[in-house]
Amino acid sequence: MSLIQLDKVCKTYRTGNLEVPAVVDFTATIEAGEFTVLAGPSGSGKTTLLNLIGCLDQPSSGQVVLDGRNVATTPTRKLADFRLRHIGFIFQSYNLIPVLTALENAEFTLMLRGVPQQQRHQRVRELFALLGLEGLENRRPNDLSGGQQQRVAIARAIAAEPAVVLADEPTANLDSRASRELLELMHRLNREQRTTFVFSSHDPQVVDMARRVISLHDGRLADDRRREP
Amino acid sequence: MLILAWRNIWRNRRRTLITLAAIALSVTLVQAFHNLSYGVYQSMIAGGVRAGSGHLTIYRKGYVDSRDERLSWRRGDLAEQAAALPGVEAVLPRVYLPGMAQSSRESRGILLTGIDPRAERPINPFLKGLDDTRMIRSLSGRDALVGFRLLKELKLKPGRKFVVTVQNRSGDLASELFRVRGVITTGLKDVDGRLIMVGLKKAAAMAGIGGEIHELAIILDQPRRDRDVGPALEKLIHNRRQLVVIPWDRAMPNLANAIKLDYASQKFIFAIILLIVTIGVVNTQLMSVMERYREFGIILAVGATAGRLRLLVLTESLIIGLSAMLLGSALGSLATLYLSRVGIDLRSFVSESLEFGGVIFDPVLRAAWDFGYMTQIACYVVILSLLAALYPARKAGRIQPAEAMRKI
Ligand SMILES: Nc1ncnc2c1ncn2[C@@H]1O[C@H](COP(=O)(O)OP(=O)(O)OP(=O)(O)O)[C@@H](O)[C@H]1O
Ligand SMILES: [Mg+2]
Repeated sequence: MSLIQLDKVCKTYRTGNLEVPAVVDFTATIEAGEFTVLAGPSGSGKTTLLNLIGCLDQPSSGQVVLDGRNVATTPTRKLADFRLRHIGFIFQSYNLIPVLTALENAEFTLMLRGVPQQQRHQRVRELFALLGLEGLENRRPNDLSGGQQQRVAIARAIAAEPAVVLADEPTANLDSRASRELLELMHRLNREQRTTFVFSSHDPQVVDMARRVISLHDGRLADDRRREP
Repeated sequence: MLILAWRNIWRNRRRTLITLAAIALSVTLVQAFHNLSYGVYQSMIAGGVRAGSGHLTIYRKGYVDSRDERLSWRRGDLAEQAAALPGVEAVLPRVYLPGMAQSSRESRGILLTGIDPRAERPINPFLKGLDDTRMIRSLSGRDALVGFRLLKELKLKPGRKFVVTVQNRSGDLASELFRVRGVITTGLKDVDGRLIMVGLKKAAAMAGIGGEIHELAIILDQPRRDRDVGPALEKLIHNRRQLVVIPWDRAMPNLANAIKLDYASQKFIFAIILLIVTIGVVNTQLMSVMERYREFGIILAVGATAGRLRLLVLTESLIIGLSAMLLGSALGSLATLYLSRVGIDLRSFVSESLEFGGVIFDPVLRAAWDFGYMTQIACYVVILSLLAALYPARKAGRIQPAEAMRKI
């Protein structure tokens, strides 16, 4: 069974009496361990699709099935818990809680899960070592560079070992060197820890590094290519 | 989560401090002003019951409402029995007779009051200004204490004689000659212009009701003791059907109502102060939630439940409310301490004494501790700060992460 199954998914926004189709008839499956990028120009529906996969939004029609669970039939209250247990999020920017230190931000999902502090710290220290964040544990987000902030966000996303990490244009606010480093890191996590990544980007440099590229155009699936490394 | 709440509070230090100060100040104000009026009421009641009815009084039924001098009663050894009760400071028997006073030049309507000078002396504030030589000594002598205004109107001087006429039990007029021994100055028009105090036995004898009294005023060492002493008195008089025990607020309804009214209007103002503060807190909490719209969206997106977020907002408000309550109560206590020790001196604004509800009180207003009320206000404030956060918390819980993420 596939990790993520999207079946004829449509999402239509209504603004006033205008209907905006953001995602139209989208069908795809994503397997565990894949490293997938959603590519497409601005407004093509990447964010909308990631929100649907991440249970932050419900489709207007069609089905989203995650790990065998139909999102539409899961009560809203349970969805928060489902996200906590199965999905890691990385957003474009301002990902972190400004009043918490890097370490506290990274352990946030573990804390929500009720993991004891000692275990939390141990796990986060491991990840910080892996992500090259040692020594920054007690810095506040404001005192970190954009790339460092995104790496802390990655630490938070993968700390609880979710089934899939969703990242919406994680490199959009980074310069090309920082984005390359971030990408390589995600790649490595994908290879070494078998973390499933689905992220969106319209940056060709980023798109080129992915093994699977799903291209979107006006909310429709335009292309779905797999490349062997 | 507590760490998060704590850090969030100090994120906008100035706003938090202003909110905190506003709540604390309202607590301080309400507590200090309440304690001040509590102290003033207490001193008014203390003065009132000592000059008037006592904390508890034994009357004949109907006397309180009619003040009919025919409703006298034989006291027997009731005064001694009452005086023996624990919590009773003094027992003051009194006779009240309306009548006429005549000097060689003038005549006036008066209230002849027969007292037990020895029992009355240390208690009754009317007698405070009198030194020993000006005080009446015996229960049946011809010495009288006269209100200073009455004295003036009768064109009398201390040492001079005058005649008092009252109606006795059988309806005949009885006259007696008295000598002015001392002058009573209270500042109460009614007292200064009508009061004549003489020995109890003399007054009773004039009215032909020897051995009887109208009022047995019982002064307690603490106002609270009425809970024990009241029932004990009831027991003492249970076989004398025509007698009743009446608490001071029924015996002196003017004073009781004046205090009630004053207190009610004060409570109203307190309620408004607290309401305004609450609205202020709702506003700041709402602002702080709206500012963190995106951040809350992220917290929800990564898996926190809406309930958890609501709890966060409530906790923040609770921390502010609790600190403000502690700070406010501390300042309120300091203010009360100052007001009870030093007080507010109104002497430069008013003449010698102040009248309220038919009672004279000291123009230096002093606070008294009302811990029950202070605690109550403290609890209110904490509860209000939680209530004030309820709507903002709901708002935070309703944030849609997908929506919040789109807005920067
Ligand atoms: N809440 C909304 N209400 C109305 N229309 C919306 C809403 N969210 C998205 N849209 C519309 O849906 C379409 C897809 O938007 P989406 O944000 O998914 O695109 P995107 O590929 O993420 O774009 P970008 O690269 O700029 O982030 C756009 O036309 C957008 O205007
Ligand atoms: Mg987008």
